[in-house]
Amino acid sequence: MQTSEQEAEDSAAQPPVPVFVARGLSKVYGSGDSQVTALKNVDLDIRQGEFIVLLGPSGSGKSTLLNILGGLDAPTSGSAKWRDHQLTGAGDAELTTYRREHVGFVFQFYNLIPSLSVEENVRLVAQIASDPMDPKEALELVGLSHRARHFPSQLSGGEQQRVAVARAIVKRPDILLCDEPTGALDVDTGRLVLAAIAKVNAQLGTTTIVITHNSAIAGMADRVLRLSGGRIVKEEPNPNRVSAEDVQW
Amino acid sequence: MVNVLDIKVVRDLWSMRLQLLSIAMLVAAGVAVFVMSVSNYRSLIGAMESHYRNERFADLFAGTTRAPLVIADRLREIDGIGIVEPRVAKPVRIIREDTNLPISGRIISLPADGQPLLNRLHLVQGRWPDPLHPEEVIINAAYAEARAVRMGEPIEVVLNGRLQDFRVVGSALSPEFVFATRSAVPLPDDRNFVVLWAGEDAVASAFDMKGAFNDVAMTIAPGSSVRHVLDELDRLLAPYGGTGAYDRGDQPSHRFLEDELAEQETLSIFMPSVFFGIAAFLLNVVIGRMVEAQRGQIASLKALGFANGTIALHYFKLVTAIALLGSAVGLVLGCWFAVGVVGSYRAFFRFPSLDARFEPWLLVAATLVSVVAANLAAATSVYRIAVLPPAEAMRPATPPALQTFAWLQTIGSRVIPLQYIIAARTTLGRPIRTVLSTIGIALAIPLILFGLYWFDAIDYMIDVSFSRVERGDAFLTFTEPVSTDTLHELKALPGVLNAELQRVVPVRLRVGYRTYRTSAIGLDPGSELRVPRDKALQPISIPADGIMLSRQIASQLDLHVGDTVSIDVLEGARAVRELIVRRISDDILGSSVTMDRSALNHVMREGPVANVAALRIDPAQSELVWSRIKSMPRIEGSSVKALWLSLFNDTIGGMVLIGALILAGFGMLIAIGVVYNSARIALQERAWELAGLRIIGLTRREVSAVIVSELVAELVVAIPLGLLIGRYLIELIASARASQSFQIPAVIDPSSYVIASLLVIAAAFASFIMVRRRIDTLDLVAVLKTRD
Repeated sequence: MQTSEQEAEDSAAQPPVPVFVARGLSKVYGSGDSQVTALKNVDLDIRQGEFIVLLGPSGSGKSTLLNILGGLDAPTSGSAKWRDHQLTGAGDAELTTYRREHVGFVFQFYNLIPSLSVEENVRLVAQIASDPMDPKEALELVGLSHRARHFPSQLSGGEQQRVAVARAIVKRPDILLCDEPTGALDVDTGRLVLAAIAKVNAQLGTTTIVITHNSAIAGMADRVLRLSGGRIVKEEPNPNRVSAEDVQW
Repeated sequence: MVNVLDIKVVRDLWSMRLQLLSIAMLVAAGVAVFVMSVSNYRSLIGAMESHYRNERFADLFAGTTRAPLVIADRLREIDGIGIVEPRVAKPVRIIREDTNLPISGRIISLPADGQPLLNRLHLVQGRWPDPLHPEEVIINAAYAEARAVRMGEPIEVVLNGRLQDFRVVGSALSPEFVFATRSAVPLPDDRNFVVLWAGEDAVASAFDMKGAFNDVAMTIAPGSSVRHVLDELDRLLAPYGGTGAYDRGDQPSHRFLEDELAEQETLSIFMPSVFFGIAAFLLNVVIGRMVEAQRGQIASLKALGFANGTIALHYFKLVTAIALLGSAVGLVLGCWFAVGVVGSYRAFFRFPSLDARFEPWLLVAATLVSVVAANLAAATSVYRIAVLPPAEAMRPATPPALQTFAWLQTIGSRVIPLQYIIAARTTLGRPIRTVLSTIGIALAIPLILFGLYWFDAIDYMIDVSFSRVERGDAFLTFTEPVSTDTLHELKALPGVLNAELQRVVPVRLRVGYRTYRTSAIGLDPGSELRVPRDKALQPISIPADGIMLSRQIASQLDLHVGDTVSIDVLEGARAVRELIVRRISDDILGSSVTMDRSALNHVMREGPVANVAALRIDPAQSELVWSRIKSMPRIEGSSVKALWLSLFNDTIGGMVLIGALILAGFGMLIAIGVVYNSARIALQERAWELAGLRIIGLTRREVSAVIVSELVAELVVAIPLGLLIGRYLIELIASARASQSFQIPAVIDPSSYVIASLLVIAAAFASFIMVRRRIDTLDLVAVLKTRD
């Protein structure tokens, strides 16, 4: 009989099947003289539950890659697949369903609905999800239960971003995509947001991809992908993940 | 070098082209209606004035039975009188092979040496009669056209009971017959009424009037008292059977023309002003919101160091460009429509020249109003933003006081899908904006109603006048009073279903210094073919003694039930009586005095006679009836209701139809403009929020629901509000004319409310489709890159 340790070793020896598979992804904006190549022939595999950090300067193609993986943008060529969902060549309705059922987004500028309260912003997503958690639970996870009845304009930036995280996770997404989630925040507030994201990744097993300029955040990742000029120039596995509290910048 | 801000003006104009086009359309509609209507009215007035001036339309008129020509010299001695032109004018009857309908007419003598001094003829076709050929006549152009009379064609005229052959050598227009109409017929009937002008010798000998006259046209010296001159005329002509002197106000063609012009004035001045005013208000709302939506840009320009004045100038250019574009389109459309509409008046208003007139002040004023309205709106919005510190203005406008709607959290949002909560909070949280855009949509409805109202008013007038009051199918007038024998004779005709006699005599009402010339109609008790009615359209019985007055006359003479009025009969023994007003009737077309026929006979000191017969005719046998009537003696003329109605539809109906369609069309354009702009600006302001909803997985339909439900909420309030405002404005327009002799009733058919509402809903639906297309093409990625 195999022991549980052996089982674990076996699975480590045979890496799980990747959930995201991208091959030869390219994205070109504009045409003629004004043509800009945002992504060049990118190959990528991401496994279930992985915490990925995308690092790179402005214009390196991070957001384009994230948007394609999130079903917000279509590549000019190449293919991208999440499990059995073909993300390339899918129509608007399919992509909407994909986002609705599987993807949670967190953006640099929060993108909360100003006319809905904190709890309603979270519930808005719960309303359209098939197996959501209680909005209160999601708020608890980001430490904001006491602000449930406030409106976004009454919250600080960090609080608004944590609401955005709560909104992203309430549907129990398979994928959490964060584009510069701390970009508009100070260090202490940023840590709170990162802690919330890490907690979701750890507790719910959500595959998480975070874009950042800030290389310090890379310490939290399982794997760091460095982009430059539209290509993945370096892939760094990180065996020693640090917690959000220990991130320094 | 080109100013960079000016480049922004051009780029902004281009990038917002669809929205700006809809605003320009709104301006264009307002300007076009204004220019078209005012120029129609001015054209008619202008044509009338120049016709009257060129053809020397007389100021005063008088009739007698027979006065020797020397009396004319005595008239010339009256203090304040100018030119005096005696003539012979008599009713005649025309015989035509191709119709059984009696054609009535009037023959007027022409001086031997050609043109009369007053009421000169404007020759349209042919030539002047040769004095050596007394059989040559000129006829009125309207009849010539209606009956396609060729020059040189013979015309058989019954003069004084004798048939006489004349030959038509010319057709002409006369200021006396801009509307060629007999008294007691409210509409010109060009096919069945003719005016003949013949040499005075021919006319005088036919009527035994050598060296005498029975009609006189005069001018009055400027500054003289009309009342005094008329009194003197009456005094001097009384011994010769004077039928009362009168001024232009009582001249049938002029009175009809004046009423028409008064109606046109309402249609041309008041309504377009309201229309244009509403368009200017909507322009204000729409432009205000458009500038508000550029809040971030204004703040950035300020932050970069641009002075408020420079920024204001920038928006001035932007907005002026839109207003000028709209005005230009409006001016072209307005002028184009005016030419068309004025052209359609020609069949109705017989003037030598009737061309659309465009006065420069009108074009300048219309343009100026739209430019000023647009800039006022822009300036207010720019100012509101410019007074804020740039840092504050760069942030989005403070969200509304949402706490006020906290109840929606506890009750509503558990039950109602959250996209509707977003819509509800946005709508309720910005009450001023919501109210303004609701009023904006609401005001589009009266604009459509204005158009539809004319159809309703005309339908109502036709229904009341021709189905409920005048219930006969045809009317016969007799050359002299007839007795009940004639009634029996008429009733006995196969095809005549009913017949009634009426006694119609010209009268003059006097109350103090005020007078009013009209006809007194004597009806038998229980008359079925003419049924006077009250406001509620209930029949009013004819008083056995005293008189019943049309409301128009009562209000003009300030008479009430129980008052006494003096009546001068202008025929026969010229009786003068004091009679009591017993009832007031609500006639819509025409205004008359109604009496019991035997009471009127008594006033006339005559037996039970009549001079008009009203008939109900079996439509299947009408030709037979008319062929019998044609051979009856003593018939002077006839009028057939069906002919009036088709004439009415061809002329007034056609004119109103064009005007109403233009109004309704523009009203709808404005409705689309307002609703579309409302939606478009909402989209522009909230693209970020809506894209956010799309990203987190709401479908296009769910996201559209946010904006669409906001618009639907506004529509739900705006439509009833708009209908109420429309009703109120129409009542206001109708009451503005209440003192005039011809009143347009404030009648709006329920179907008009429905149509106006449906048109606005259709406009909204078109806007929804445009909104949906915008939402479908929202660039989610681009939206994410900006803060707002």
